[in-house]
Amino acid sequence: MSEVLRVSGLHAGYGAGDILKGVDLALEKGRIVTMIGPNGSGKSTFIKTLAGLLPAREGTIELEGERLNELSPPKRVRAGVAYVPQEYNVFRNLTVLENLKIAREFMSAKRVNGKALDDDLIALFPELPAHFGKKAGNLSGGQRQMLAFACALAVRPKVLMLDEPSAGLSPLLMSAVFEKVKKVNAMGVSILMVEQNAREALRISDTCIVLAGGRVRSCGPADAVLGMKDLNRLYLGDASVAPSRVSDAL
Amino acid sequence: MRASPRPVFQTLFNGLITGVIMTLPALAVTLLFGVLKFPNFAVGAMMTVAAYLAFALNAQLGWPLLVASLVAALGMGFACIAIDQVTFKPLRERGAITLMVASLGLGFILENIARFAYGNTARSFVMELARPFRFFEIRMNREQMITIAVATAAMLLMWALLTRLPIGRAMRAVADNPALALVRGIESPRVIRWTWFITGVLLGVGGVLVGMDRALEPPMGSNYVISVFAAAILGGLGSPLGAFAGALIIGVVSELSTLVMAPNYRIGVPLMAIAIILIFRPQGLFGQPYIRR
Repeated sequence: MSEVLRVSGLHAGYGAGDILKGVDLALEKGRIVTMIGPNGSGKSTFIKTLAGLLPAREGTIELEGERLNELSPPKRVRAGVAYVPQEYNVFRNLTVLENLKIAREFMSAKRVNGKALDDDLIALFPELPAHFGKKAGNLSGGQRQMLAFACALAVRPKVLMLDEPSAGLSPLLMSAVFEKVKKVNAMGVSILMVEQNAREALRISDTCIVLAGGRVRSCGPADAVLGMKDLNRLYLGDASVAPSRVSDAL
Repeated sequence: MRASPRPVFQTLFNGLITGVIMTLPALAVTLLFGVLKFPNFAVGAMMTVAAYLAFALNAQLGWPLLVASLVAALGMGFACIAIDQVTFKPLRERGAITLMVASLGLGFILENIARFAYGNTARSFVMELARPFRFFEIRMNREQMITIAVATAAMLLMWALLTRLPIGRAMRAVADNPALALVRGIESPRVIRWTWFITGVLLGVGGVLVGMDRALEPPMGSNYVISVFAAAILGGLGSPLGAFAGALIIGVVSELSTLVMAPNYRIGVPLMAIAIILIFRPQGLFGQPYIRR
């Protein structure tokens, strides 16, 4: 299967020190990769660097062989990388319809048609049209998350990056969000997800990456990681002692 | 002291006109604050420069005032893009205070360019004289009618631009959440250029309206700065509807205050309004509570 996203030796951070210290990642087309790790391990920094909100100090980011490092965030979206931030992921003062419109108004014409939401996305998010006139800031947490997904998907991305999509949601909504992620993936979109709710996220993932201290500590099939007895220790506790290969922990 | 009904209505109308004139610069302040997050204190001087530009085309080159005003407003729009490139863009990463101080300095420079070119003598546009008329015992003149019509048309156009056109939606999106706008594919330099252009056009039209209402002199714009900021803060910085409402309220209340106190103290009204609104409702009438991200 061909690689859609490849990250090699990525260094990035705020201020003087690096938070990411040489992260590698390969996302194959049509797959879901979930990155887990303790708080402060650099998961959100990693995804923000891929989105272009933080500069990569070293290393390369490639989308289907095209180098993204020098592209601004809007150009990365146009190249096919969509990003849903963890918080503040919709324009609260704009209506739902305006959020959807603006998501694709600045894309090149070949990527989008004139409709606010394509039929397949309406099928995926049937609840959204009823709220088109409502301000996004007045939606519930779950509805906001769905709108953020729809906005990111409206540009027909090759890769969808999700930063903790279940954060702050009730267990019921959390399951609904992961169900949507699975359906989005079934539409052919490759997904890179950063998650704290490791078990739920890994159930729908193909590959798991454990990040700790800004380095990849482990990488392997998601179901293998899910079967580990010490999964909680890996993603909540001291992951610096995590095995370098998933097979070592089994 | 009890005011008789006629002065009350006349004063109310005069206040309405003052408020209507302020709607355009107040909207310019609030738009720019929304997108670039700094208070531009050069608004007054920008209005002055635009008014003198219209004066040059109208009184010196003999163009009709309407055409001269349109060219001056568009010219101010382009001038604002250039001013941003030279003055504010290099300071963008240094924060709101630096940009605000730069705008104060820019205001001094622009006002004195007008003073250097035309001196301190009051001047006026060349336009046909028309007799004032009375409507329900309220004295009105043609310039005031033009002011109401132009400001109303400008506000409607702004509303259409902000809600119906992609660039207007993009401006509101950048004002709402600049980081999200970037990852939604919105190029902020383009939005910033449009914001400055629209700011310049609004200030250009506003400057001509001030010149028509009073006279052209170098401090004509800066005389309005405190009231314009009071209007934008009262309405809620970043809210176009708030700027409109705030300008009308400040204009009317300032004029009405002259019925009960000496007109020299009128400037106290916008200052009091700023103090009261910042104490009791810092987000203004229509603004959103500030959330630090």
